[in-house]
Amino acid sequence: MKKTHIPKLDDFLGGGIPEGSSVLFYADPGVECEAFGYQTLQSRLEEGDSGFIFTNVTEPSSIIYEFEKFGWDLEKKVDDKRVFFVDGSSYFIGAPVTGKYGIEDYSQIEDVVIKAINDVPDGLGVINNLSTLIDYLDDGETVRIINKWNQVANDNKTILIYIFTEWDYENALIEQIKDSMDCLVNLSTIEERVIIGQGFMVTGASWTTPSSNRVLFNIMRPGGVKIFIPKILVTGPFNAGKSSFVKKIAKNSVSVDRMALGQVPTTIAMDIGHMEYKGFNADVFGTPGQERFDLILDILSKEAVGAFIVVDSTAPKTFARAKEMMKRCKAEAIPKVIVANKQDLPDSLSPKKIRKVMNIDQSIPIVPTSLPLNEGIEDAMDALLEILYR
Amino acid sequence: MIVRIASGISGFDELTSSEDNLALKLGGFPENSATLIYGPPEVGKSTFCYQFTYQGLTQDEPCLYLTTDHGIQDIYDTMKGIGLNLDDYLENEMLYVVDAVSSDMEVEESDIYQRSSVHNPTDMLVKVSRVARSISQKSPRLRGVVDSVTTILESNNEMLIVRVLKTYILRIKEAGGTVIITYIEGSADSRTETLIKSMVDNIIKLDGEKIIIEAMKGMGRKEDAYRTTDEGIVILHDEQ
Amino acid sequence: MSTVESGIPGLDELLQSEAGYDLGGIPQNTSTLVYGPPKVGKSIFSYQFANHGLNLEEPCLYITADEGMKQLQQNMIDFGWYLQNAMEKELLYVIDSISSLSGAPIETTNTYTPSKINDPTDLMVKVGIGTRFVFKKSNEFRSVFDSLTTPFAFNPEPMVIRFLKTYIRRLQEAGSTLVITYTEGVADENTEKILKSVVDNVIMLDGSYLTFRSSEGLMGTAEYQITNQGLVLGEGEIL
Repeated sequence: MKKTHIPKLDDFLGGGIPEGSSVLFYADPGVECEAFGYQTLQSRLEEGDSGFIFTNVTEPSSIIYEFEKFGWDLEKKVDDKRVFFVDGSSYFIGAPVTGKYGIEDYSQIEDVVIKAINDVPDGLGVINNLSTLIDYLDDGETVRIINKWNQVANDNKTILIYIFTEWDYENALIEQIKDSMDCLVNLSTIEERVIIGQGFMVTGASWTTPSSNRVLFNIMRPGGVKIFIPKILVTGPFNAGKSSFVKKIAKNSVSVDRMALGQVPTTIAMDIGHMEYKGFNADVFGTPGQERFDLILDILSKEAVGAFIVVDSTAPKTFARAKEMMKRCKAEAIPKVIVANKQDLPDSLSPKKIRKVMNIDQSIPIVPTSLPLNEGIEDAMDALLEILYR
Repeated sequence: MIVRIASGISGFDELTSSEDNLALKLGGFPENSATLIYGPPEVGKSTFCYQFTYQGLTQDEPCLYLTTDHGIQDIYDTMKGIGLNLDDYLENEMLYVVDAVSSDMEVEESDIYQRSSVHNPTDMLVKVSRVARSISQKSPRLRGVVDSVTTILESNNEMLIVRVLKTYILRIKEAGGTVIITYIEGSADSRTETLIKSMVDNIIKLDGEKIIIEAMKGMGRKEDAYRTTDEGIVILHDEQ
Repeated sequence: MSTVESGIPGLDELLQSEAGYDLGGIPQNTSTLVYGPPKVGKSIFSYQFANHGLNLEEPCLYITADEGMKQLQQNMIDFGWYLQNAMEKELLYVIDSISSLSGAPIETTNTYTPSKINDPTDLMVKVGIGTRFVFKKSNEFRSVFDSLTTPFAFNPEPMVIRFLKTYIRRLQEAGSTLVITYTEGVADENTEKILKSVVDNVIMLDGSYLTFRSSEGLMGTAEYQITNQGLVLGEGEIL
């Protein structure tokens, strides 16, 4: 088993990648995916394996520079002949071809990469990237060539990592590509009108049942792939039941005071807890009082990926305040779920009515809950997960 | 206000200055622009380049000349023939030539003279880029000539040359250069031609009798008659 | 229908018709392809469009693919449009996908980031980041992609189309009004057909006439000129 040393990924893979396996990192357009290939290569090189990078999007010197930005010295390892390049990029833009092997004609690719694979038994090769290859290879050739490479790699005990941006190709082609791989890792966006986060999840592995967890990440320079625990905000008008809701979804929540640096530094009381639900891990921040909402968002800013806005279904007068908070979430592109609480009480308005009265778009879920009766809590969490991973 | 540099072609600066600027003699090529000079063979495109180059040299502007049809000896002789003597400028290292034609070893390679081949666009680009960069460290302005891109297109994959040309234009402009590129109309695929035309700032056609400025920054379409004389190209601007 | 001021004198007036469309500019949140032969003023159109929005404090995501940032600024200055103010207010976010070829060192700032013309994956990542940045400034912002010509020179045509579809979708979802420029004749016929079909509106410039066709069927045409203040439309008519 070869470890990637990408946080959480080795766990999801049941320890690592077996020698000779093929791994497809397939990403939504907009997600940075090559870091996964590069980081895995870096980890393997550090542990004494050899490797190569096949590139068709950028010259080897740029890749060395990218590694530098991550804080990894690839140049030295190239000089030590522990890793080499297959330069499938330079020739086509009129730049001098560098690297151990160069490609000046796409008909050469299949054989040259096979040579490269044979040069690194028990090592690792990164193919960056598959998307560009599809257009340059004749129809049907892409899948055949990938299968050939995977077979040679398997015989040679070389791990092959493919970087693939899943543009809208024909479904059949994508299925064939995926079928030819031992392992599939999906890199996806979290979007609310704009991309607010990215996550990875193993969706297939021939040697283990992959964990069904998805984890959010950032690419740090320096650092590489870093997991981050997203923050979920629980807020709403006064007395809607926020603290209770936080307690229901997050174990061991505590009340803390946080410094907020607005115009005047203030402290804000918050409930903080950790939620783990269906593989989704998040830190929950609840606002127990009538706190300055914008200050809270400032604290959470970059890492808030979702918000529960809890409203008292029996208090329509408070809906205006809830709407204000929603507007602010919209401006920060934070997905939200409205929790229509206190459904057990006699005067409670139904979610349908609430939607009408508050004039809320169909795309925003309104989930009825009754906290004393423990009803609707899982539905609310499901609704949030659904938006996040749409 | 578009800054222009003197062209070196008699009548051109007058043709390209706007009416109000006539007295101020503010015509010529827009500084830091790329111009395509195209037309049928033998209409004076290379002569145009010689005059442009020479004008720059007399103004202390180094010139980077990429030649694909005429070797350095040819160029030197032809220019002498129209009264443009390169001796001083070669001595002062103001003219840099990348010669993709001559394979004869008579002229030694040096800082100002390098050989390349039209069959090796990467090599031409590397040499030209290197020279441009080194010139830019010594001079704020330079002139560039590619004469002609047709010959390069003929010997290579056209799309590759389009990319190389784009890169060349970017680098020469980055170095503070104003560049002329010559091309024989119809010598490449229409898509290639369209791409090349879209990559330059100005487009001038020479058809043997008329010079037509089809596109130029800061002015509309203009044309005039011209003649090739033993002093080079003369645009008959004031004649009716 | 909500519209966005184009910034091209005469165009908004042309689109304001009695034919029931009542457009006073480019329909908001739509994508418009500005196309035509080389050198007819397509880039100038996009400079004008962006600049006008910036003057109205409408943020702009500007992807430049033909010219680098320095050249873009210079070109704008030639028409008297200065970007300093907008850049200080962080209203303009530029993704420069071509300067990396020039070998010039590029410094990424808060509102300026390089990309690579032959790496659509990287470009889309930068688009995602830029979109988020601009979206936070305003949910109604402009975006310009000037132009598709160089991408077509450096990438296979199907890849450019795939990129474009994702780009348009992403930006429309974020609320932007998009202008995309393209030189006619650079891609093959089929690709050009697809190109025109993935946008909402097309504006054709041929050197003398500007013709506008919206997805709703509105068509208008007018004479135009490139002046030292940019494009100016003359008398026109709705067809």
